[in-house]
Amino acid sequence: MRKTLALGIAASLMAFSAQAGDIRLDGFPDFNSHLDKIIPVYQEDHADANITYQMNNHGDHHKRLTTNLATGSGAGDIAIVDVGFIGTFINSGGFENLSGADYGADALADQFVGYAWAQGKGADGNQYGIPVDIGPGVMYYRRDALKAVGTDIDSVIKDWDSYIAYGRELKKRNIYLIADAADVAGLIIRTTVKEGEGFYFDKDGNSLITSQRFVTAFNLAKTIRDEGLDAEIGSWTNEWYDAFKSGSVATQLSGAWLLGHLQNWMAPDTAGLWGVSNLPNGIYGSWGGSFLAIPKQAKNKKEAWEFIKFMSADPRAQIAGLKNIGAFPVLTQTYTDSAFDEPIDFLAGQQGRQLFAHVAQRVPAVAPMKGDLIAEDVVLNGVLREVLNEGKPVEQALKEAERLIKRRVK
Amino acid sequence: MSDQALSPAPRSAETSHPPLPETHFIRPPKKRGRRLFNSLQPWLFISPFIIIFCLFTLFPLTFSVYLSFQEWNPVTGLSGMNYVGVQNYVEAYDDPWLWKSLYNTFWLAIVSGVPQHLIAVPVAYLLVYAVRSSLRHVLTATMFIPFITSTVAVALIFYSIYSANTGILNQMLLGASKLPLIGALFAWVPDVMPIKWLTKSDLIKPAIAAVVIWKYTGFNIVIYSAGFVTVPQDVYDAAKVDGCNRLQQFWHVALPMIRPFIFFAMTLTIIGNLQLFEEPFILTSGDTGGVGQAGLTTSYYLYLVGWEWLEMGAAAAISWILFLIIAIATSIHFYFNGRKGMEGNR
Amino acid sequence: MSTKSLSLSATATAKYGFLIVSVLITIFPFVWVAMMGSHTRAEIFSAPPPFYFGDDILNNYQRLLEIMPFWLVLWNSLTVATLGTIGAVFFCSLCAYGFFAFEFRGKNIVFGLMVASMMVPPVLMLIPFFLTVKFLGLLDTHFAIWFPGVANAFGIFLVRQYMVSSISKELLDAAKIDGCSHFRIFWSVVMPLIKPAMATVGIVMFIGLWNNFLSPLIVLSSPDKYVLTLALRSVQSFANTPWGAVMLGTFLSMLPLLIAFLFFSRQMMAGLTAGAVKG
Repeated sequence: MRKTLALGIAASLMAFSAQAGDIRLDGFPDFNSHLDKIIPVYQEDHADANITYQMNNHGDHHKRLTTNLATGSGAGDIAIVDVGFIGTFINSGGFENLSGADYGADALADQFVGYAWAQGKGADGNQYGIPVDIGPGVMYYRRDALKAVGTDIDSVIKDWDSYIAYGRELKKRNIYLIADAADVAGLIIRTTVKEGEGFYFDKDGNSLITSQRFVTAFNLAKTIRDEGLDAEIGSWTNEWYDAFKSGSVATQLSGAWLLGHLQNWMAPDTAGLWGVSNLPNGIYGSWGGSFLAIPKQAKNKKEAWEFIKFMSADPRAQIAGLKNIGAFPVLTQTYTDSAFDEPIDFLAGQQGRQLFAHVAQRVPAVAPMKGDLIAEDVVLNGVLREVLNEGKPVEQALKEAERLIKRRVK
Repeated sequence: MSDQALSPAPRSAETSHPPLPETHFIRPPKKRGRRLFNSLQPWLFISPFIIIFCLFTLFPLTFSVYLSFQEWNPVTGLSGMNYVGVQNYVEAYDDPWLWKSLYNTFWLAIVSGVPQHLIAVPVAYLLVYAVRSSLRHVLTATMFIPFITSTVAVALIFYSIYSANTGILNQMLLGASKLPLIGALFAWVPDVMPIKWLTKSDLIKPAIAAVVIWKYTGFNIVIYSAGFVTVPQDVYDAAKVDGCNRLQQFWHVALPMIRPFIFFAMTLTIIGNLQLFEEPFILTSGDTGGVGQAGLTTSYYLYLVGWEWLEMGAAAAISWILFLIIAIATSIHFYFNGRKGMEGNR
Repeated sequence: MSTKSLSLSATATAKYGFLIVSVLITIFPFVWVAMMGSHTRAEIFSAPPPFYFGDDILNNYQRLLEIMPFWLVLWNSLTVATLGTIGAVFFCSLCAYGFFAFEFRGKNIVFGLMVASMMVPPVLMLIPFFLTVKFLGLLDTHFAIWFPGVANAFGIFLVRQYMVSSISKELLDAAKIDGCSHFRIFWSVVMPLIKPAMATVGIVMFIGLWNNFLSPLIVLSSPDKYVLTLALRSVQSFANTPWGAVMLGTFLSMLPLLIAFLFFSRQMMAGLTAGAVKG
């Protein structure tokens, strides 16, 4: 009801057209839950700021934003951009150069987690997107499964061999190692990138898809699938949630944000049975993340920048994001906050957030390249499934993928 | 007058009828103005279509023709287009995923299209003639429900139904294999369990086709019901006098009379099914058309290319290739069935 | 005699058996959506999902009102769908009459163009459609959502087909001899006879407008102008969707469609009764 009223007021305020402090933020849920709580805090110091937002679901939002950028109109003053799109969007010329004199974003760089800041940089070295939350990658594991096998987590994650050996032990006890073997391949491809290379292309735009990194990743996933160590369950399905509840799957590789979901609704009854650890084989990676950017067509750029600085670079907003929607902070100074020392009951008292913060500061930065979107679809969603589900030979699959991508990426 | 309207009068003369001799029956102020008005009159009637077509369709069409000769990442704005000639078409020609998608499109169009009509025609007949009128509305409404169900609900529901381990479909098959009499027919079931309806490349297409049939048959029932309503009762009475039974009435009287509706519904199915997008998209979670792209239709592929990979020029070229294919298929349909289906309009 | 009644009742059993099975298959999602609207998210996403009614309807309803101005967006949807349906029923009939009653140069070309306009894949039209709407100054209006559909190929084609199968040329000629203008003939002679076709167009248009979300997505920007589909989609995210509330909203959003269907269905079958009486 309060929300209805707020929307009504927001709408009637918008009718007065762009007043000094009027800005609109376009994004996707769950940001609205965070905004509802954090806008009043912002308004304490900025009494004349009227901030409205327009939420659409993740896919719809990016489709709408694409249309707005294509046609040069209709976008809000601030756009939230998912990390999956950031590489394409920031080099489009549709967003304000935040390194410019009007903004001076570069002065903020030191306060942010390095890899996330780098992801918001365009190919020209200028900053176009300011990270607002990140998803440091960890391994969630069932403590009861670990106990049943009689090993400890450090020996499990030592390397991929030990991880798979753990899976074989679990299999004897009718527990799956992981929900989907494809996650392992995706992780390796995204995290073991050589210095100076992109995910799928090198600096000169040559494809890396038939390189050793991809072969290793595919073979490892294939081993897990062929030995029957994974449950063959896709993410965000009823069976996935059920696996978390019943404990039929022992590990899940994911971002820090998964903790909140497990705790709140996916498997609340399993509190105390879970733990978090580093990813296997000593790698550091991330899942997801969001950026704030100002479209060139925005009407109130100055106010928009003020609000972005508040959302991303003000510890109050960053900590509130963690508490409101489990959005992991990107501002390193927040990691000393007492919230990071809290033992988490769901993780049997483990101080999980310290691990998240530890991981966040070690994720390597990889520059996005033109064609990443196509390559990711073709490799991870396309041929990888054929290798795992239908037994297509790895080399052949990767060659096919490369041929396809070369044709589409010029 | 209405008797005349409802009688199955031969309509051979209707289209060749020249509208000229009537002129003097209306009181025109001037003869020349009258004639001008007469020749403009049909255009006045169809002007709503022409106006809206020019306002909302013509520009988008021209735009996308133009676009198909450009390389364009939409997020770079309108100024970011690069003229590339026919390159998009040439590339489409040797794009293995496009060919795969065309095969899938035709497979799905036929397998999900034909049953819709084979079910809808007799069911509509049954509903119109063999069911009490109070029940008729309720039944038709019920059969129409799949068509009005929102995509989100369809996705959630069929995901659950097709789920390999806990889905109702697999549970029912297992149950059937345990039944005393028909169990033998399903004896193969336990050996192949769990059946992965949505993650095996040879099962995705049938799984999608089932949803399409489920969703659109009710729509066709409504179209055919409207068709059967045009058949006046006295035609059946005459057939009955001639000793036709219900089946013969259906076959020899009702079917020929609803020919324009069959023609219309078939046209819609051909055009609609060759553009199939939503059902394959949700059932493969928008993931490049499922395993081995077995569920990737051409509409789905051009969506991927345009909106996910942000290659709008290439997507436009694919969309015109698809358009051409649909136009050819529809022309063939018009050529063979149009004379009767349009009742001499052509 | 007894064998005949036996075979009759066998036919009846087969008939009703068939109808019951079809009804079960088609009504299934409707019932299931209703059931999901009465559960919490955790229950909906258990495996297998519950196929019975839960006791969270009231909670879900409250949550629904928290996440969106439900009745406002329902009203918006109703406005958009009603205006568009009325427009489509009238203008499609008008155009259909143009194609039905006249012979004129260029008729086949326009008709072909019309059928061809259905063949263009809609996903690609989004950006130029946005440009058009912006050019016409219609951004953020409901008008831009329903107006482009009021003279559509589907409706015109269907009504035309109905006219050729139910209206004889003699009737038109008779009316002309009586001195009626073409518009007069259309209005007072043809319109009453094509009610079932108009009702069919009405149903399909109403549903199409009600479930449409692509053009609202790019046209609308004020939350108080959102239509139901857009509002229901806009609260969905990968992870934090209040699915119970969303499913309840989905269920409630299907009810007006069913009511609309029953309303139009009566009009559609009205022709049948009239025919039966007069025949």
